[in-house]
Amino acid sequence: MKPRAMAAALLAACAVLWGPSSAEAQDANPVLLALSCAGCHGPEGRSPGSIPTLWGRTAANVLESLAGFKSGQRASTVMGRIAKGYTDTELEAVARYWAQPAR
Amino acid sequence: MTKSNVHGLSRRRFVAGAAAGIGLAGFSRPVRAQAAPRVVVIGGGFGGATAAKYVRMFDPAIQVTMIDPARSHITCPFSNYVLAGFRTMDSITHSFINLRANGVTQVLGTATVIDPVAKTVRLAVGDPIPYDRLIVSPGIDLRFDAVPGYDEAASEKIPHAWKAGAQTVLLRQQLESMRDGGVVLMSVPGNPYRCPPGPYERAAMIAHYLKAAKPRSKILILDSKEMFSKQPLFQDGWKALYGDMIEWVPASKDGIVKRVDAGAMTLHTDFAQHKGDVINFIAPQWAGAIARSAGLTNQTGFCPVDPVTFESTVHRGIHVIGDSSIAGALPKSGFAANSEGKVCAMAVVNLLKGKPAEAPTYVNTCYSLVGPDYGISVAGVYKPGPQGIVEVPNSGGTSPREAPLDARKAEAVFAEGWYRSITADIYG
Repeated sequence: MKPRAMAAALLAACAVLWGPSSAEAQDANPVLLALSCAGCHGPEGRSPGSIPTLWGRTAANVLESLAGFKSGQRASTVMGRIAKGYTDTELEAVARYWAQPAR
Repeated sequence: MTKSNVHGLSRRRFVAGAAAGIGLAGFSRPVRAQAAPRVVVIGGGFGGATAAKYVRMFDPAIQVTMIDPARSHITCPFSNYVLAGFRTMDSITHSFINLRANGVTQVLGTATVIDPVAKTVRLAVGDPIPYDRLIVSPGIDLRFDAVPGYDEAASEKIPHAWKAGAQTVLLRQQLESMRDGGVVLMSVPGNPYRCPPGPYERAAMIAHYLKAAKPRSKILILDSKEMFSKQPLFQDGWKALYGDMIEWVPASKDGIVKRVDAGAMTLHTDFAQHKGDVINFIAPQWAGAIARSAGLTNQTGFCPVDPVTFESTVHRGIHVIGDSSIAGALPKSGFAANSEGKVCAMAVVNLLKGKPAEAPTYVNTCYSLVGPDYGISVAGVYKPGPQGIVEVPNSGGTSPREAPLDARKAEAVFAEGWYRSITADIYG
């Protein structure tokens, strides 16, 4: 995805503004979603240890994994439990984030 | 784009992401031309160091000053493995040098006074440090006023070891000096406290050491609670690896310690007294001293915050993250502090520009080792709700109770991988 298209995708995913008075859960900001991954998968998705790296993977590849974890079709230790916490739109946004060409 | 960033993190990408995220804020206030905004962060632990780094990542124009009395941080996560004997203190000590390389200015010292009106932080010496927004992340303090007989002096003989450092080394030395057949007493406080599964992992790690070095010894856990994090998984694992070495006494079975006698090395409950060869007294806790003296705490001893921005509900312009904050369903864990640090950093950057905060998400994954090759975990995804931060329904949870040993082994391997990743994310 080209940077311009990426920015458009990010904008679309952020179209609803959030304020402290908002009451209902909504799709999270894509950058914050993706940074949640870094806690285990390393800064910029580059894992220095035993946990798989996200950096350099295609959006389709990441999304296929995440969808499999969420549905339970793909075996995992923690990812099944984590993927169930996100909407399909959020998982798509995360997948797009890790596939951004600008590194 | 520049390839010069030293973290392997693309600053441009983060800036672009943050800007895109706030791009539709059509009703933002105009920003006056002025000097670079100043963000001050108190504390260089998982919360504070993450926030300091990510404010700079999101907006390199912001001046970030981090106040901490040390030049490095010793992590509580993995300190139990120092007690077990398969980790060194060096391996859990992380220098702030890369934070400085990223443009975070460190002031060496302890913040002693916050003036929320003048918007300054004072240390014991030196000029007040002005801020436009302040992020307070001092972690917990042990309460030396909570249980009679357990004060700071007593902790030199009966370590809490709930802040990693000299206390960790002291407890390890005491275990090494103990006779075979000795009794290790542990006391665990009621909720809330730092790292809910930590005491039970610690019991396992002490058992791992004792099983090899002093196999006739016992560990008695006196608990102020009726149940604990990952309880069935821990109890299965204790039994499988250490037989009857670990005994757990819940509150209803007289587990609450009412008095400590450091001279006699005894813990006193309502109906019994227990003598230990080594005692680990994990005292009740509250927010770090600066959060309390600044009036950021409520009657719980912790700090109420907005669930979207982690801004204090007491003082505007001051955010509290990590173990000092009241974060709803989010546990007091290093992972949660890292997650809160990123959300808070983006909120601070946006608020300084007069823009609204982004819709956040929080995550927590806590691995515990029962043995070096036996890992278990709890994970959760969280969002703000009307009553504060809640776990997303039908997600998260613990490792399955029925699982083959290779699944436990995989989680032990991932635990180590998690530690390498998160410390690289914060201090790398």
